[in-house]
Amino acid sequence: MGGGGGEAGGGDGGESSPAAAAAAAVAGAAALHIRCANGSKFTVRADLDATVGAFKEVVAGSCDVPAAQQRLIYKGRILKDEQTLESYGVETDHTIHMVRGAGPPAGSAAPAAASPQASAAPSSGPTDGLGSLFPGLGGTGTAGTRPSGLFGSGFPELDQMQQQLSQNPNLMREIMNMPMMQNLMNNPDLIRNMIMNNPQMRDIIDRNPDLAHVLNDPSVLRQTLEAARNPEIMREMMRNTDRAMSNIESSPEGFNMLRRMYETVQEPFLNATTMGGEGNTAPNPFSALLGNQGSNQPRDPATNAPNTGSESTTGTPAPNTNPLPNPWSSNAGGAQGATRAGSTGNARTGATGGLGGLGSADLSSLFGGLAGNTGTGATGGLGGLGSADLGSLLGGSPDSSSLSQILQNPVMMQMMQNIMSDPQSMNQLLNFNPNTRNLMESNTQLREMFQNPEFIRQLTSPETMQQLLSFQQTLLSQLGQNQPRQDGSQGGNATGMRGNVSLDTLMGMLSGLGAGGGIGVPNTSNVPPEELYATQLTQLREMGFIDTAENIQALVATAGNVNAAVERLLGNLGQ
Amino acid sequence: MASSGDPSAVVVPRNFRLLEELERGEKGIGDGSVSYGMDDADDIYMRSWTGTIIGPHNTVHEGRIYQLKLFCDKDYPDRPPTVKFHSRINMTCVNPENGLVDQRKFSLLSNWRREYTMEAILTQLKKEMAASHNRKLVQPPEGTFF
Repeated sequence: MGGGGGEAGGGDGGESSPAAAAAAAVAGAAALHIRCANGSKFTVRADLDATVGAFKEVVAGSCDVPAAQQRLIYKGRILKDEQTLESYGVETDHTIHMVRGAGPPAGSAAPAAASPQASAAPSSGPTDGLGSLFPGLGGTGTAGTRPSGLFGSGFPELDQMQQQLSQNPNLMREIMNMPMMQNLMNNPDLIRNMIMNNPQMRDIIDRNPDLAHVLNDPSVLRQTLEAARNPEIMREMMRNTDRAMSNIESSPEGFNMLRRMYETVQEPFLNATTMGGEGNTAPNPFSALLGNQGSNQPRDPATNAPNTGSESTTGTPAPNTNPLPNPWSSNAGGAQGATRAGSTGNARTGATGGLGGLGSADLSSLFGGLAGNTGTGATGGLGGLGSADLGSLLGGSPDSSSLSQILQNPVMMQMMQNIMSDPQSMNQLLNFNPNTRNLMESNTQLREMFQNPEFIRQLTSPETMQQLLSFQQTLLSQLGQNQPRQDGSQGGNATGMRGNVSLDTLMGMLSGLGAGGGIGVPNTSNVPPEELYATQLTQLREMGFIDTAENIQALVATAGNVNAAVERLLGNLGQ
Repeated sequence: MASSGDPSAVVVPRNFRLLEELERGEKGIGDGSVSYGMDDADDIYMRSWTGTIIGPHNTVHEGRIYQLKLFCDKDYPDRPPTVKFHSRINMTCVNPENGLVDQRKFSLLSNWRREYTMEAILTQLKKEMAASHNRKLVQPPEGTFF
């Protein structure tokens, strides 16, 4: 059994000539090939007795990846900075793989200031402002690199956002100081509308008018958000509450007062947030806060162990002893894979650790009341909206009144004006969806129209919206409303109500119209598939599908849908 | 060795085959997103190997590096190696307790052919990560091991 682990003879693997290797040996430095994760390759010279850390600096000089972010792999091992190259058995003409990793952890992020009006300090840590939080929006992000974003691509998953926010408190402050957020917090009507859409919450507020002022007071909302972003403030608030509770309990009538408060406020509130009670037709967006405790049944006070203390009375329910979930744990907002069944009967899988516990609150149920009838679409929270239908985004088939109500909202109007006045943001918005991008590229007149603020203002007027809706309904009636829905894998589990044409389908139709063809006729051009699907081919290659011809065949068959192409290629492998 | 013209009829001995794989691993020939090499340079039987897979793009695995152990017994390549994830991963074909790749659930191992290599195993595992049933599974924290 010869040949230990030594060098196998025979050839140089086609990497470099023996002459080059000899020249490197003479120079006293070994020629090492660096292979990046994206497939690119370059050669550097380094002493084999140098440390990996020093070698990373050499590599950083030849590529755009800083030494701190480099992760080097050789023969299946991740190289540690303090070891030498020689200790890993690296020899001249060998290849080291390089992956771009996250930067070093932030040294010490300053704790967030107590006041939200505090001036935002420059961000410290791994994030580089809002551009990195929302890739595709800022100048630094690259749209289209992440699956299932808010509008098809470009937006990160919620857990990634949460991770970045927790790493960098200054970033949260930056977001809080944005004019849009300030407007939102100074507009109690909008937040009140969202909360009052829950019939049980409405009932509680009707029975306890003193709670209503909380919804009208922006300072309370601001304080709550401040506590949500700063664990220190949250802990301080908890300490104060505990102290107040113990003081109340020690007074003669205090305990009974607490019990009454529990019965009239806390218990009904928890029932509301866990989707208990009769007549609740829509899944409650706030149920995500309580994770696995969310259930269809109202919380039954009788299930709690009876209190045997002298203060307890026989006819009253004992306080609930279930612990509330820890808002700072990674699982806040629902245990992994815990399925909550809404009272409409559609099961929802909780997104793990959403932003501050609101991970799996879907927009459809959150804005359900705004759009007439609540829908069952767009499950999976912000991260999974993907190319969800307009209908499911607004919680059902929107009518003109609800749309105009949304568009006439001051916050919405200001946002629309900002977008319309800035051509660059308009371009980014149009480029989010690949179908729209293709349509704009193939039709310069259309692009010019969308650059015209007057045209956009007319397009977003309620009258135009009404016409578009009637056009959609006409289309639906002509199409027979029985076409199978698009594969949900691209839309991030979008299961909108029947009768809503998804954005992708609509865009497909419009692109057909743009080329002068009839409805549904694709915009065929004589561009070879290698060019047409260049980005998709790169993606497939990065996923490990090397056979270009097979990849092109799959992409042509699936009209450029990478997910479907992957399924197809994997199906071929199995045969 | 074999008189027939069919090149697949030539049976390459285990040692030569493993030396060839070792060289490919060192020179980085083949798929750039996987890397592999021997654990112990002094092991004359060349049984214990280490591999890494760089998580595929547009999946939950993106940006992660997964380390694996491959054990090529004396009957390799006639029988497949034992593949075990060292880095924690949530995948349908990986035992969540010990990180072993289940041969019955991983087609390449269940339909093993002599010409398959360790590189092929790692590449196929990477493709499996990008498959629809694995690409969005919630993963354990990075840097945790079995």
